[in-house]
Amino acid sequence: MPSLILIFEKSNMSLKKIPPWLLLILPAIIILAAVILIPLMFSLYSSFTSYRLTRPDTLFNWIGTFNYEKAVKSSVFWAAFGRTILFLTVALNLEMFLGLGLALLVSRVTRGQRLLRTVMMFPMMFSPVLVGFQFKFIFNDNVGLVNNALQSLGLSNRAIPWLVDEKLAMFSIIFAEVWMSTSVFAILILAGLFSIPQDPQEAAKVDGCSPWQSFRHITLPFIMPFIFIAMAIRSLDVARAYDIVQVMTNGGPARRTEILWTLIGRTGYVDAKMGYANAMGYVSIFLAIFFTVYFFRKLNAARAELGMAG
Amino acid sequence: MKKSVIQSLLSATTCLAMMATSPVLAGDYDGVTIDAKLIGGQQYEGLYALISNWEMATGASVNIISKKNHFELDREFKSDIAAGTTDWCVGSNHSSFAPQYPSLYTDMTSYNEAEQLAGFVPAMIESSTIGGRLVMLPRAQFDVSVLYYQVSLYEDASNQSAYKAKFGVDLAPPITLDEFKQQAIFFADPPNFYGTQYAGKDEGAAGRFYEMVVANGGAMFNADFTPAFNSDAGRESLQWFVDLYEAGAVPPGTTSYLWDELGAGFASGTIGINLDWPGWSGYFNDPEASKAAGNVGITVQPMGSAGIHTGWSGFHGFSVTEDCANKEAAASLVTFLTSEASQIVESAGGSLPTRTAVWDVAVAAAEGDEYRTMALNAFKEGAKHAFAVPQTEYWIEATNLIFPELQAAILGDKTVDEALQDASDAVDEMMQENGVY
Repeated sequence: MPSLILIFEKSNMSLKKIPPWLLLILPAIIILAAVILIPLMFSLYSSFTSYRLTRPDTLFNWIGTFNYEKAVKSSVFWAAFGRTILFLTVALNLEMFLGLGLALLVSRVTRGQRLLRTVMMFPMMFSPVLVGFQFKFIFNDNVGLVNNALQSLGLSNRAIPWLVDEKLAMFSIIFAEVWMSTSVFAILILAGLFSIPQDPQEAAKVDGCSPWQSFRHITLPFIMPFIFIAMAIRSLDVARAYDIVQVMTNGGPARRTEILWTLIGRTGYVDAKMGYANAMGYVSIFLAIFFTVYFFRKLNAARAELGMAG
Repeated sequence: MKKSVIQSLLSATTCLAMMATSPVLAGDYDGVTIDAKLIGGQQYEGLYALISNWEMATGASVNIISKKNHFELDREFKSDIAAGTTDWCVGSNHSSFAPQYPSLYTDMTSYNEAEQLAGFVPAMIESSTIGGRLVMLPRAQFDVSVLYYQVSLYEDASNQSAYKAKFGVDLAPPITLDEFKQQAIFFADPPNFYGTQYAGKDEGAAGRFYEMVVANGGAMFNADFTPAFNSDAGRESLQWFVDLYEAGAVPPGTTSYLWDELGAGFASGTIGINLDWPGWSGYFNDPEASKAAGNVGITVQPMGSAGIHTGWSGFHGFSVTEDCANKEAAASLVTFLTSEASQIVESAGGSLPTRTAVWDVAVAAAEGDEYRTMALNAFKEGAKHAFAVPQTEYWIEATNLIFPELQAAILGDKTVDEALQDASDAVDEMMQENGVY
């Protein structure tokens, strides 16, 4: 018992030594460490081992940078890496342009705008797995909706292999992704459009600016920060895209739609090679970091242009 | 209704049979709870309904903590092994997955007398024995693909005369893989009708390739598990898939099809001949589910150029974990679920038994049902040619390296030689990396 009191007193003393600011943020630090830092450190450590899920003892088999060297030398990995960037670039830009168009149209609506905004958000409410299954059926070559419609309308007399052809398969996946997420851009850009002050717009009209000139020189600079926020959020989402691709093609056929996360998921959970999967994951995390830094720089530049920096 | 009455009677018989013959006495496991992770699905529930009989007889209780398909169970088992949470007791297992868990399951030999094991089809006990340890006991869920075909195609007079004129032989269900290909191309009329289809991805594609390689006189691996499929037999097999695809005899999306898509495809009436599993036989002939109903023929699967029939097979079973607190009780449950009486009940639902004696019971029960009798005879004949997947824990990993290369050849991204060379190199590297040789 005396020893317990001693420990308590000691710990009480050491608590007193901790500065108040640190004491206040300590719970947050502990929670962050538990849910983010420790798993991150663990996965980083395991990427330097030959860790296989089915052989727990391999977690202690240190193999240095072997997994990283293997990933860097693997043509399959780099092909998936390139495909992920392509997927990211095309999907993000399409979503941005379509979302911008949608937001501009909806901002002009005077009656039923609230209803339209709600309807616009419907695709976001579906789970990506559900969207994947939906489009897998729609694009099925034999019994799918698109091919049946094309054949019934006499527009095609063959079964178009939407999920097999190299270009069409990627198109189909991007189509599903764009269908689900364009409204994210539209909603954020719409919020930007509502925040634009009317004075510059009216001044432009008085000065005889064309609609395009008003949009290019007044509207667009004002909504650019919103576009970059949407870009930053969506780039992280799309860079992690897994569900839709996994359901629709699982990276196939012949790795034609293999992106980083289908490759990493299969390596980690099906092949049970968690060490190698984590190494690939860490290499590709730089992809997400790069896009985040890039868009935040752009965001800050746009804010600076509007005098909002600082 | 009739079926449920039969099942109830069989269930009662099972209970009595177990009580009469089991060495376990009532109350032997009073208070014991067996946690189980089992495969889920309508076709498996009939057997699970019998568990209460075992609980009644032994005093133990069974707590099913997970019910998923095998691919999901596989991921869960791997996570359990990684996390060290393997103290549950009974798990569903499959001959294709079993070699992946070398340390998870206990040796069942000591819990079963030789006489009890002798009742199983010997090849299945052999496939369940990994590294000298009997890691699972097979249940009445045996799978080997046989040939399904649309009878009307073969009865059609114009088809018969055109085929005879073109090839100089009578039109009849194919006996060889070459005939299979020839007929599939002959029947094809895309996009409205396809001669055949095949599993084009995952283990399904690699498995089909594997059985063709064997049927053509080759092997997937040498004795030391170095890849052996980059051979004449391998080239002949892969060329078979390529030829069918290039001729438009299969749906263009077949490289993204797996079992559900294939089943739905044949049931849609747009596929002429089809290698598929026994579990589909009832569905294909069900007028409410299948446009091919009433027009389905089933026969033994064709043979390759080496005179060997295809016969990639697998079966479900149950295993007991090493970390189970009461392995004896868990083994008793597994023995019960795989007993002759239980297999009679389970196979009454249409699945294939893994016990020799139950085959005869199933054939007798199908008497008077022409379709079921034809199906059982085909399955019985097909089972004679069955062979399991190579016994390496890296089989699934190997298939994940092989199937994308097969797809690449089928779709024309690579030549057959390039694809086989790349697949062989990748598997070789993987095996070496894993220290197999």
